[in-house]
Amino acid sequence: MRWTYWMWGVLAVALALLPLWPGAVDSYAFSFLFFVFVYAILAQAWNLIAGFGGQISLGSHAFFGLGAYATAILWSGNYLWGSLYDSHPRIYYFDPVTMALSGLVAAVAAALVGLPLLSKLRGDYFALGTLGFGEIVKVLFINGGTFTGGAFGIVAPASTFETLLPHYWTGLGLTVAVAVGMRLLMRSRYGLALIAVRDDEMAASANGIDTLKVKIAAFAGSAFISGVAGSLFTYYLFHVGPDSVFDLNWMLLPLMMTVVGGTGTVMGPIVGAFIMYAVFDAARILVPDYHPVVSGVAIILAMLFLPKGLTRLSFGLPGLMRRG
Amino acid sequence: MFDLPPPAIFLQLSLNGALGGAMYGVAAVGLSLIFGTMRLIFLAQGAMIILAAYFVRALFQSFGIDPFLSLVIVVPVGLAAGWLIYQGLFRKAAAEEDRNISLLIAVGLMFLAENLMTVVWGGNTAGVVTSYTASGIHILGIRTSFTRTMGFLIALAGTGLVMLFLRKTLVGKAVRAASEDMTAASLMGISPHRVNAIAFAIGIALAGAAGVAVATTFPFNPFAGFIFSLKALVALALGGIGSVAGALAGGIILGLIEAYVQFFVGGSWTNAVAYGVFLAVLMFKPEGLFGRPYKKA
Repeated sequence: MRWTYWMWGVLAVALALLPLWPGAVDSYAFSFLFFVFVYAILAQAWNLIAGFGGQISLGSHAFFGLGAYATAILWSGNYLWGSLYDSHPRIYYFDPVTMALSGLVAAVAAALVGLPLLSKLRGDYFALGTLGFGEIVKVLFINGGTFTGGAFGIVAPASTFETLLPHYWTGLGLTVAVAVGMRLLMRSRYGLALIAVRDDEMAASANGIDTLKVKIAAFAGSAFISGVAGSLFTYYLFHVGPDSVFDLNWMLLPLMMTVVGGTGTVMGPIVGAFIMYAVFDAARILVPDYHPVVSGVAIILAMLFLPKGLTRLSFGLPGLMRRG
Repeated sequence: MFDLPPPAIFLQLSLNGALGGAMYGVAAVGLSLIFGTMRLIFLAQGAMIILAAYFVRALFQSFGIDPFLSLVIVVPVGLAAGWLIYQGLFRKAAAEEDRNISLLIAVGLMFLAENLMTVVWGGNTAGVVTSYTASGIHILGIRTSFTRTMGFLIALAGTGLVMLFLRKTLVGKAVRAASEDMTAASLMGISPHRVNAIAFAIGIALAGAAGVAVATTFPFNPFAGFIFSLKALVALALGGIGSVAGALAGGIILGLIEAYVQFFVGGSWTNAVAYGVFLAVLMFKPEGLFGRPYKKA
């Protein structure tokens, strides 16, 4: 069924060409899709460590926040390299180096934290540990003084922008890149090792897999993707603050989207992100006063009736069913 | 360096910390029961506590029922609500091997409760002000607030009752057996659903009791619950997951840590220290401060 990937490819190209449609750029659907991309990337990141790796992380919002802060700090830059930076041209929007560095900051943090957490803690204890880690990072950033801007955060030195077009294309490109990367990764030796660790750690280790290394790599990889998503979000919001980018929803919503779409599938997180964000947004428009209530109900209903995820339904789109 | 404050300060800090921490403790006892049987991190516990606090406030404002007297209403309602929540929301998910589902249902319940409270009572900070809210009592020469002391007593009584129930009744024994090994317990004829439902009923009833304590002591808002859930988790880890008395003790220790850090280091660092201790305990003493080490599986 190789052609189903052509379907996804056609969809991606169609989305990339959407801005050419007259009026599309100014439409509401455009910003909606941008948010879907951000959430899809985050959901993929969570899926890597939890869906494929079997390590439930409740601290992925910390890596999103780290990436967002890294971009904001690099962008405003005055604190790190002050005068030197001023003599250089400003880093432009979506500077690939800044975005990669933001991912790297998150990945390094994840590797440093993952080493003790993943070697010592398993299952629920790892989940609790990551939850605690997320809260610690938040407090550290609140107390970070001028470097992190304290409780207020950092305002990026942005000039006004008139179109969401670059955000849209960058988001789409990253979503596609992450999905393709995930697909290739899961077909690789490393991806198979990761799945082996998830399914039976003891057996994997008996077969010569360095389970700790595999898990840490997945944790760091997941953090890298989250960090890049955080970077993307900074370019959208221009203001990072501890309460906005370290908000728990940056972990809970992607988690939910992944589970609704199908944990441990390559396309599930994207499907989940699209559908759940559509539900939330529809609720926000239709019943503005009650929309968070609707979100809560939506989560509960989705879990009660779709516990295996949409992509595992028998009438799911062909090609979605395959794992890994 | 700096002058050591007078010893009375230490007494005062310890008392305040212990009294405040007992509230985390009672929330942790509920979490401990639910985690014990279902292996579910019930993140909505804090939201349930705040919901109970609003309920107490409504009883007080509409019917003039004294907050402490409302325990006789809140606790039975909590028991029934816990039973219903389990049967309605978690029964199906509990049978699934993937525990993300239960966790997400808990998250959904938390969103739902938080936002229903906002819709019904508004997002502003609320409180219950009675004739004795500001009154204090003297214990061993230190002054403390009456409501905090009552909250502490409620926590002690709640934990004591749960322990009695677990130790002295057959159903309690079944709950304990199920927390130790659900498979073995169900082979002995213990119904997992019944045990889970009982754990949930008691957990929510304890959230109700904690709600009374919160309502009389602190101002609260619909979104204050989540931090309670986190603190209860810390207390749970400190006391040893699965131990009821340990959960209460863990809460009190957490309260003490917070009180001292707040005084000596600064209020903005209390959470970082609390979670730091949490991580350290998880990593180096996962059986809790009082537990015996587990056998290596």
